[in-house]
Amino acid sequence: MSKSAWAWIWFAFLLALDIAIPWYVLTRVEKMSGAFLFWTIWVAVAIISAFVIFLKWKEVER
Amino acid sequence: MSATSWVWFGIVIYIAVGLAIATMARRQLGAGVSEFFLANRKLGGFLSAMTYSATTYSAFMMIGLAGLTYFHGVGALGFELTYLCGMFMMVFFLPRFWLVGKKYGYVSPMELLSDRYQSKWVGATAAILALVFLVPYGAVQLMGVGYLMNGISQGVIPVVVGIIIAVVCAIAWSNIAGMRSVAWTDAFQAIIMITVSAAVLGVVVVSLGGFGAFFSKLESAVPGLLTVPSAKGAWNINMFIGLALPWLFFLISNPQVSQRLFIPKSVTAMKQMLGGFLIFGFIYTLISVLWGFSATLLVPGLENADLATPTLLTLPIIPMGLAIIVMIGITAAAISTIDSILLTLSSVWARDIHKGLINPKVSEKGELKVGQWVIPVMAVIAFLFALWVAEKPGLDYMIAPLSAAASAGLLMAVPTIFGAFFWKRATATGAIVSCIVGAIIVLIFQITGWKPLGWWPGVWGFIVCVPLFIIVSLATKPPREKAEEFIGYLRGALKEGRFI
Repeated sequence: MSKSAWAWIWFAFLLALDIAIPWYVLTRVEKMSGAFLFWTIWVAVAIISAFVIFLKWKEVER
Repeated sequence: MSATSWVWFGIVIYIAVGLAIATMARRQLGAGVSEFFLANRKLGGFLSAMTYSATTYSAFMMIGLAGLTYFHGVGALGFELTYLCGMFMMVFFLPRFWLVGKKYGYVSPMELLSDRYQSKWVGATAAILALVFLVPYGAVQLMGVGYLMNGISQGVIPVVVGIIIAVVCAIAWSNIAGMRSVAWTDAFQAIIMITVSAAVLGVVVVSLGGFGAFFSKLESAVPGLLTVPSAKGAWNINMFIGLALPWLFFLISNPQVSQRLFIPKSVTAMKQMLGGFLIFGFIYTLISVLWGFSATLLVPGLENADLATPTLLTLPIIPMGLAIIVMIGITAAAISTIDSILLTLSSVWARDIHKGLINPKVSEKGELKVGQWVIPVMAVIAFLFALWVAEKPGLDYMIAPLSAAASAGLLMAVPTIFGAFFWKRATATGAIVSCIVGAIIVLIFQITGWKPLGWWPGVWGFIVCVPLFIIVSLATKPPREKAEEFIGYLRGALKEGRFI
């Protein structure tokens, strides 16, 4: 499978977590360590993933 | 000096500095449409990152998102961070937009669609979609400024005066030197936005006893706001998806941001733009949400969530000077978004409507002139819409849902944009039909307030427009030669730059 396909799958996985964890797993955790902390860490992971990909880009001559 | 005098003093200083920056940017202004609307595709990484950030983040953040948090709690954070997670798709779209923009000389994202689908009607349809749905979004920015100035001056400055100030600044900054003045004033405003919002949040958190005490107070005072669905019940999964889905594709559906994918001068500048924006967005989102949470503790019981920020800023714990600087920061956020919207809409009108449909033989000079005239016209339309909406109470007219409503309409162009880059079989008819039918569904549901199964208008529009795009494309003839050339070029260029 191509790198692009893997990146799309990873993105879809992140979106699945976006719904599954706060809405179904942490729904009774009335603390900052619940949905607030999850979403903060979750998006940090998404951002780091984007950095890992785009830091490999190089100049093109077109 | 009275509070109102200080507010006026702050506004005058802000306008003076903004005008000076815009005027300096004019010295770099060259000739031509590409120069005016895209700074000749020669912006460095820092400016690109700052103008992208300031355009994306608007009055919505410190007023609308803070208000949503105030009323509905942590779900607001999830919704806004879902947008930021959607920025992961920039690793696919940023190089693609940038490469074809350079190769084919596109000025607007709609021109890209017209060329790729070999039909000026595709670009025109997407252009009309933008013109219709960006008006409420622009109006939201104006309302934000109006509410804020009214709140800080404790009612002395009428909402309409704040709206007029925002309109005049936006027109001036987008007209003085096009993208160059917008980008430079955006950079100035982005720095103000993030520094002053961080500073005022720091003051509030310290007054609450530090982050530990702040979080403890939240957990004991409003525990129901720390979960989804929220204890108040309004923030349920349907509302979350209804708000988040249009936002998820904001990076390609909103032309004022997707047009910025054309402007970095190099791959390095592109990387700086994306990295800078992601860091900016992460910090600014957390600040805005924590700000909203602090309002739930310090000014509970407000009926209009959009007033949470202005009310909080009038508390004695916030020094008047800082409150005024924050007001300037939020005003900057609003104006930096609306001037970008005006500039983009003017380019879309000039290139995709005027040149595309009305007068294909228009000279470059004539096209530019049309674009410059459209800026004040669109500003006045947004102004009238803002005046109308500002008098409507209730959830439907809160800043956040109104912003999401605009994005819901623009969402209908997303299948067309995906098809342009990833599906050779996509056709102009599929694009036009899916955009129009989807937009009509969104408009009808939006106006009637109808939400079958509790699903929001954008969700219904998307459910209809995606299969429609596919089915109609499969039933009609694609522009095979162009699709092969366009996607074939990208395949080679993407490989060369190690893009994915």
